[in-house]
Amino acid sequence: MSNFSRSAQQWATFARSWFLIDARMQPPGKIATMCAVRLKGKHKPIYHALSDCGDHVVVMNTRHIAFSGNKWEQKVYSSHGGYPGTFKQVTAAQLHHKDPKAELPEDILANLTEELPQPRDIPRTLSQYTQEEKDAFPRLWT
Amino acid sequence: MVFLTLSCLIRSRGPDRYWKVQELLKNARHFRGRKNRCYTLAVRAVRRAFVYATKGRVLKRHNMRTLWISRIAAATREHNMKYPTLIHNLGKTSIELNRRMLSELAITEPRTFLSLAKVAQARREEGFRAALGDGKEPAGVFSRVVVTH
Repeated sequence: MSNFSRSAQQWATFARSWFLIDARMQPPGKIATMCAVRLKGKHKPIYHALSDCGDHVVVMNTRHIAFSGNKWEQKVYSSHGGYPGTFKQVTAAQLHHKDPKAELPEDILANLTEELPQPRDIPRTLSQYTQEEKDAFPRLWT
Repeated sequence: MVFLTLSCLIRSRGPDRYWKVQELLKNARHFRGRKNRCYTLAVRAVRRAFVYATKGRVLKRHNMRTLWISRIAAATREHNMKYPTLIHNLGKTSIELNRRMLSELAITEPRTFLSLAKVAQARREEGFRAALGDGKEPAGVFSRVVVTH
């Protein structure tokens, strides 16, 4: 790095990376905070609000996002149009129903710098456990 | 100036009004609109500008410190640690680097910053061992503070 010219060093320091987050079975709030941190550039020690130091983030599998608790029925997204009668309140389930499912195009896949670790470990379904593990699990009654 | 009668002297105005006006207008030359030309408007605008400048000197120190803190926090998160733990543990090892120096090291000297993060992590683990352990193990290397003022 010592043989970089000044302009090349600047170019390399402020380069924009592409991050990928797999949102399958993840809490959307945590995904959103991770995305926001990287989009603003706050994960870099060269951060400044005026310098355009944010990165790109691609979120995939948003269709399989997982709210905890009863939020699918209870969480409400409200919006107001400014005019009387335009107050809309939509539950999270109804909002998610409108989400389209999209594939990741190849040119984005080619440019990805890093895949970020998922915030929540996905628990295995019963079919994914081996028969030995199922037998070894303690039973209260037979 | 020479005044031949007393009444002329008493009725005279100051000789240097032009220069006093220019001295004020030079502070207003980069303003927008008539404030940069007309004295009456410029007086008010220049006074507000100076008030903002005075308030800004305090804000600048405040803003710089928050910027340093956010930069140090970003750099420590790259090393799987958080800003409060870094600051607390560096203080416990009596490494008295201020936030300005820490942020500059994080940008220009990444390996030095990594070593500082490791020192803080080691001191943190020694603290855990001292709190949770039996007390039979000796205190760790970083817990033995050399200089306290």
